[in-house]
Amino acid sequence: MENNELLKRQVEELASRVNGEVEESFGVLVLTVKAPYITETLTAAKQFAEVPCDFLHDLCGLDQVDHFEVVYQLSSLRGPQKLRVKALLNRENPVVDSVTRIWQGANYLEREAYDMFGIIFKGHPNLKRIYMWDDFEGYPLRKDYVTEPIEVRNIVRQRIEGE
Amino acid sequence: MSIKETEELILNMGPQHPSMHGLFRMVVHLEGETITKLEPKIGYLHRGMEKLAESRTYAQFIPYTDRLDYLASPHNNWAYVQTVEKLMGVEIPERAEYLRVIFGELARIASHQVMIASTALDMAGWSAWSYAFRDRERICDMYEMTAGSRLTVNIMRIGGMSAEPPEEFWPALKSFLDDTPEMLEEYYGIFFGNEIALGRLKNVGILSKEMAENLSITGPVLRASGVNYDVRKAEPYSIYDRFDFKVPVRTGCDSYDRTIIRMDEIVESIKIIKQAVRDIPEGPVMAKVPKVIKPPAGEVYHRVENPKGELGFYIVSDGTTKPSRVRIRPATFINLQMLPIVALGWKIQDVVAIFATLDAVLGEVDK
Repeated sequence: MENNELLKRQVEELASRVNGEVEESFGVLVLTVKAPYITETLTAAKQFAEVPCDFLHDLCGLDQVDHFEVVYQLSSLRGPQKLRVKALLNRENPVVDSVTRIWQGANYLEREAYDMFGIIFKGHPNLKRIYMWDDFEGYPLRKDYVTEPIEVRNIVRQRIEGE
Repeated sequence: MSIKETEELILNMGPQHPSMHGLFRMVVHLEGETITKLEPKIGYLHRGMEKLAESRTYAQFIPYTDRLDYLASPHNNWAYVQTVEKLMGVEIPERAEYLRVIFGELARIASHQVMIASTALDMAGWSAWSYAFRDRERICDMYEMTAGSRLTVNIMRIGGMSAEPPEEFWPALKSFLDDTPEMLEEYYGIFFGNEIALGRLKNVGILSKEMAENLSITGPVLRASGVNYDVRKAEPYSIYDRFDFKVPVRTGCDSYDRTIIRMDEIVESIKIIKQAVRDIPEGPVMAKVPKVIKPPAGEVYHRVENPKGELGFYIVSDGTTKPSRVRIRPATFINLQMLPIVALGWKIQDVVAIFATLDAVLGEVDK
């Protein structure tokens, strides 16, 4: 319990510094910040006194139709503290700083988010597609990506063959 | 005339290669036989699970999770259904919790047996492979009795288990547990005590503790680097807080410790199953769950200790019958990041050993 209070206080203090919002969802603190503040936020979260959130569990993109989010799941190997940090990105120009300098483990995760959502991670050492092939067009996990049914695709294929 | 410079050789290993566990390819840059650069190429088995989930209902997605880490399919079911249950606030019956633990730990044993077998195979130890696979068959038989299939068992439902195990399940489980000490001794004798295996694995591919933490490594690979971290202890899900077991930790940081730690884990799993069989109560195996599953809007991240590491599901619900986003945090996909770093400077046969000890299942890596 004490840990929770300590974490909450520090998260709120950090939120006021980076213009973020704090809420709680299923017992986990969620800190939402704008994309330019993300490096500052995560560096601070890694160095919280007594309750450092220094282990990156997961990093993923999220399409909220009007904007994108990058979600970081943080915790520690030496304590029960948990924190979820969200970076808000605008849809037209989804750019955010890479966190590979803080955690090397973000490397593949950022490549995956780039592959699936087209989010550009500034400062990433090797930002290439990871699952899809290099000349694949579009970003499959965006909500506006069209997945046509197989029947439609077959019709298209037949027409091309007939020509 | 002497040769002053040698040309760098670029070698493609995989995707169809005996040492690659599935469709995995790596581009290896060699200086003589020494690795100077290694680039893993994945995506040959990518099925777009996360996209598929968005067009299916919550219950329809359970069979897909079996195809993630297909060597331990009950664990994938478990992680997914628990996330949905957490989102809906469903309490499941006691008996179902115990059955989940029993099947989960059986899956852990089966998965580790395959790991030991395939590592032995990569070191050219055919006979060690056959011993571990022979014993795994008995776990597959137990799956088959209960769920009807042997590999992708699809055994859990939102709110409980798909079926009560039949009568013949319990004697089969008991005889399996009784035979395990002998099995483990056989693996020790034929593989871990073998001089060739020791030579190929000992002090090969050192992954330091700091490096492992920085790379977000989880599971046995992390514990073999000396970090005492297990989700079952750190954040007990299901009923793991009721069992008495240890988390095996080794400090060798090398391929040998990454392999032999699975043996220690099998021993602990057997302990857990024995306690679960002793304590299991009577009762139903399914909670009363609405026919149409419609969790309230919200988001939840839940993780379990898969045999390969931490398997997490992050589900965002918008209040409809279909999830708005299902994010899968695969363990081996993230563990794989150590390969290009650790393999540098080793010889080509050592890369095969290092990759084998990661226990990568490409179904999970590629989603």
